[in-house]
Amino acid sequence: MLILIRLIILATLPLAILTSAQAEPVNERILLTFIPNVQFAPFYMGIEGGHFAAAGFNVSLEHLQEPEVLDLVAVGQAQFGIVSGEQVILARFRGRDVVYVFEWFQQYPVGLVYSSAMDLSALENLRGMAIGVPGRFGASYSGLATLLGSAGLSEADIDLREIGFNAPEVFCLGVVDAAIVYVNNEPLQIQNLALDGDCGAVSDVDVITVASQVDLVSNGLIVSRAYLEEEPDAVARMVTGLAGALRAVIDNPAAAYLASMKYVDSLPAEESLVTALESAADKQDEFLVSNPDRDEIALSRRQLMADLAERFDRNTLTQLNVLLNTIELWDAEYLGYSQLASWEAMRNTLDSMGFLDDEAGNLQDAFTNRFVAGSDE
Amino acid sequence: MQQKNKFSTGSRRSPAGVNRGALLRRVSPFLTIACLLLLWQWISARELISHILVPPPAEVYLAFIDSLVDGTLLKHASITLEEMIYGLALGVGIGLIIGYAIAKAPLLENILSPVIVAFQSTPIVAYAPLLVIWFGSGPASKVVTTAVIVFFPTLVNAIVGIRSVSPNLRDMMRSLKAGRWQTFRHLEAPSALPVVLAGLKTSTTLAVIGAVVGEFVSQGSGLGYLVTSARNLYDTPLVVVAVLTMTSISLSLYGFVAYVEWRFLLWQRRSSS
Repeated sequence: MLILIRLIILATLPLAILTSAQAEPVNERILLTFIPNVQFAPFYMGIEGGHFAAAGFNVSLEHLQEPEVLDLVAVGQAQFGIVSGEQVILARFRGRDVVYVFEWFQQYPVGLVYSSAMDLSALENLRGMAIGVPGRFGASYSGLATLLGSAGLSEADIDLREIGFNAPEVFCLGVVDAAIVYVNNEPLQIQNLALDGDCGAVSDVDVITVASQVDLVSNGLIVSRAYLEEEPDAVARMVTGLAGALRAVIDNPAAAYLASMKYVDSLPAEESLVTALESAADKQDEFLVSNPDRDEIALSRRQLMADLAERFDRNTLTQLNVLLNTIELWDAEYLGYSQLASWEAMRNTLDSMGFLDDEAGNLQDAFTNRFVAGSDE
Repeated sequence: MQQKNKFSTGSRRSPAGVNRGALLRRVSPFLTIACLLLLWQWISARELISHILVPPPAEVYLAFIDSLVDGTLLKHASITLEEMIYGLALGVGIGLIIGYAIAKAPLLENILSPVIVAFQSTPIVAYAPLLVIWFGSGPASKVVTTAVIVFFPTLVNAIVGIRSVSPNLRDMMRSLKAGRWQTFRHLEAPSALPVVLAGLKTSTTLAVIGAVVGEFVSQGSGLGYLVTSARNLYDTPLVVVAVLTMTSISLSLYGFVAYVEWRFLLWQRRSSS
């Protein structure tokens, strides 16, 4: 009898969750970093495409600095936030009991941009060069430390210059030989400046990504442990909603760009571009019905850019290009899954930078894959 | 002295009462600070706000001692102070020169005021990133940011100060056939000094804002940078230490200018009494 009751409960649980999700969407905010930008397209798509609503949430978005996001989540003033992996380790080291539940960026988005005329075939060649970094903190600084470490160099071997978030201007003025940047965005801006003849002697740039050297844990969704233990179902639903939205963006970037227009004021939104994107989005929806694999979808994204490049100028398509570049950092067979090895690599990097002067706790407590589809946890 | 006694006799309060009142006025700022510290400790002890958001005073004190011992605090504070002083010198210097020129030549006011008012009405944080791009990420951009923010109050006070000189006294200087320099030295400068020094007090409190905004925009060193780096390492007690150090520097400079004002204007008080 008891077994029968358990079976009935188990059988009806998903239905109950679905019903409650459909009946009363809960107002929930997700704290993001930076500013409204096309790189946050999965969240815009989550709202506009109904992925969060289907998961039972009426989501609003707020942009703060990473430490503020983390602290507000840690003390329960917000339930969900997006931060980079190293922030989770640092914050846990300082007593914030947060848990990383979904790896949004599958590849660490930081890299080193430099003029193609330079010989950086070996990272050892960085010795003595002036390298720009936003500051001695955050993902950029961790990325630089990783690149230097993988070449057997240290900060003392280079001329490190803190340049704020002004890499394109500072690089093109020739103040630095190379700069640490987000690989999906700034190299594109520098490339555009170079093509316009506004980047000194630089005519083309190359990028060495941190991900090509070491797999570091990157940006993802966090919750507080207290919330995770009290509301595991809500966490599971949010992860499902975000994963659905992320997959939708990867599969149909034209639709994601259109969804982002409502949130990002600076996105080019001329009528001809909107019409072209609407047409491309519809075409992509039809293509997706044929159930293409990841490679075919990746090819369709490249085709989208090629088609639009014939009709629109480079500057009009810059932000769409940023989105397409960023999608390459998100795409994976199983979205959201993070590896213990990448957490360990990040902890080792932070340790080598002197940010962790003691054992940084158990990394197994810092993250969980239990809510990620395809995970066997 | 006679006047003082007369005044005292006129009051119903006894001399002891007056002394107590004066003493209370002197200690009241310290009482306010003590009350705030007690309130802070009480909130922390009862955990009314998470320690993550508001660290207890004891933790802040430890962070203060640690940063003092390892030299971090003095290093960053001295850089901010240096930027403030250079920025003050530059901003106040230019403000006084242009202010004097505008006070003497109203046409110049018509020419320059649109630019000056437009610049002043725009929040410094909005164009601070431009200053970093134009003047580099080193100390120069912070000095310029400070100079820009202290320029306007100095300018306005210089104009008001010079224009407030009594026309009768100007006539007297003219009748004495005083030259331009003599008029400036013996009439305009002393007359404008109280107003200019009042502007300088405002400028010193603004200088810390200029320097720290510059440090926030372009990282590297200084108390603004210390706040950012401590924040990124989730070291909230050190953030509080850096913020309190900024306040202390600002108050110290304000106190210094107030002292200078008191010393310089002693003659004025004596002559008026």
